Amino acid sequence: MAQPGLEKKTSTKVEDQSSLKGTLASVFLLGFFLIITWVGVFLLFVNRF
Amino acid sequence: MNSFVEKIKKVDSRDAKLGMAHFYVAFIGLFIGGMAGLLQTLVRSGQFTLPAGIGYYQLLTLHGVVLALVMTTYFIMGFQLVSVSRTAGTLTNKQRNTGWVGFWLMTIGTVMAAVMILLNEASVLYTFYAPLQAHALFYVGLTLVIVGSWVSGSAIIMAYVAWRRKNPGQPSPLLTFMSLVNTLMWIVATIGVATTVLFQLLPWSLGLVERVDVAISRTLFWYFGHPLVYFWLLPAYMAWYVIVPKIIGGKIFSDSLARLSFILFLLFSIPVGFHHQLMEPGIDPAWKFLQVVLTFMVIIPSLMTAFSLFATFETFGRSKGATGLFGWLKKLPWGDARFLIPFIGMLSFIPGGAGGIINASNQMNQVIHNTIWVTGHFHLTVATAVILTFFGISYWLIPHLTGRTLTKAMNKLAILQGVLWAIGMTFMSGAMHFAGLLGAPRRSAYSEYGGAAQAAEWVPYQIAQAVGGSILFIAIILVLYIFINLAFFAPKGEEEFPVGEAANTTEKAPMILENWKLWLGLVVLLIAFAYTIPFIDLIENAPIGSKGYKLW
Repeated sequence: MAQPGLEKKTSTKVEDQSSLKGTLASVFLLGFFLIITWVGVFLLFVNRF
Repeated sequence: MNSFVEKIKKVDSRDAKLGMAHFYVAFIGLFIGGMAGLLQTLVRSGQFTLPAGIGYYQLLTLHGVVLALVMTTYFIMGFQLVSVSRTAGTLTNKQRNTGWVGFWLMTIGTVMAAVMILLNEASVLYTFYAPLQAHALFYVGLTLVIVGSWVSGSAIIMAYVAWRRKNPGQPSPLLTFMSLVNTLMWIVATIGVATTVLFQLLPWSLGLVERVDVAISRTLFWYFGHPLVYFWLLPAYMAWYVIVPKIIGGKIFSDSLARLSFILFLLFSIPVGFHHQLMEPGIDPAWKFLQVVLTFMVIIPSLMTAFSLFATFETFGRSKGATGLFGWLKKLPWGDARFLIPFIGMLSFIPGGAGGIINASNQMNQVIHNTIWVTGHFHLTVATAVILTFFGISYWLIPHLTGRTLTKAMNKLAILQGVLWAIGMTFMSGAMHFAGLLGAPRRSAYSEYGGAAQAAEWVPYQIAQAVGGSILFIAIILVLYIFINLAFFAPKGEEEFPVGEAANTTEKAPMILENWKLWLGLVVLLIAFAYTIPFIDLIENAPIGSKGYKLW
């Protein structure tokens, strides 16, 4: 007898506890911030001197 | 067994007393220096004139010396001594007495320097740049502060050596290791300022010699002046690496990484003073560029620290079931002042560091040199990142040392203090950065500069600085109220001295990181490389020198 419930796969997504993807994203954001501020003042420098 | 473990986790009461002596002076300094800072921002708003013949530059000197030299040095020495006592074992009587000798030398020196500033005999700004000439007792006082800090530092070195002897082949406890690195860096760095004070400024202010070589004096000052900022920062990093992970209930991401970053700071924070002198004549641009490169090397351990902290927070959050890219942020204990206040400090170090990279970028320094941008920069680094971390440390360390507890009410007040600081500093430091980009000078009282249109542009920012300064002063009053409560009135009890453990306990830190012949040898080599030829140039091509000026 067919049991329709069995055919349906229940996939529970288990996130890897040791994942550091948030850290990766954070250091990238930090890096972009450093670059943006630096380029901002660099443009002032180029325009003024 | 448990009670035994609990017992050794507590700082011995005799060491606690030594630590507290340092903190009393540090917090008195905070009040005096904070008051001077408030008055400075009010004067610069153009809406307020100083009463009773007090000079703006007198206040500026008081603010800089009392906060940047006295308050920080006392806090750091006290914190390092009790950290060593906590992690490497109670100090021996000899070590503790050495600590007390250092404390009293520093205190005699501080009183001498402070009296000279208050008598208006030493308004030479915190950098005491020649040819501004202070009363000789001001220089003697500051020399005593430095010599006293060497004596205190030797207590830390003795404790470290004793621990290593007792535990051969073992890496020293992390907080002890870090205290030692900072002490060694401080001793090597202060040789510069001690040299200019003892051999140039003191004989000159006593009238033994008539003239002083300004370029050499400034170079020796900045040989000290840049590692000074790392001397402030490394104790904050000690808290970020070792203490904050324990407070949140997590682990240190990597013990070895933390040690390596401290060694990199030891190597690269000293031979970089020229980045404060990029606009000065008398130093070959090639040598300036070399020191700019070395300055950029210091970014590496700072970024290692940022990575490590993010990783600690994320690992902790995920262990609590956090999901998604930034879900771990929600798991952090935002209601705990011991975490939140240093965390605000960490955040402020991001724009602080970004500004530092701009300052040190060789020609780009022209954009901001001697503008109030620089003042804004170090109010983010030392006066927010570092000082908020020091406040965060105080909120558990003071009750730990006095046998009291941080109550819920005080924790709330501490959070309010941290938030007020963040708001006040956003106004003050933010306005300083923008005004600096518009050319507003630092180290100068209010002036309309003869009605110049450019100077008029700065006024709104100067008013914003006064608003920020006033909010900051309210936060200082709160800090002092909490400090007095924790030192004298909070309920008796046990407050933890949190010391984190590494995530991977099987990983033993490489012993090469404790090879001081190697690291100090490299320090000397790097300094010799970066400074020998420039100093030969400066001495060979020395001008006749300058007479002393008292312009206040």
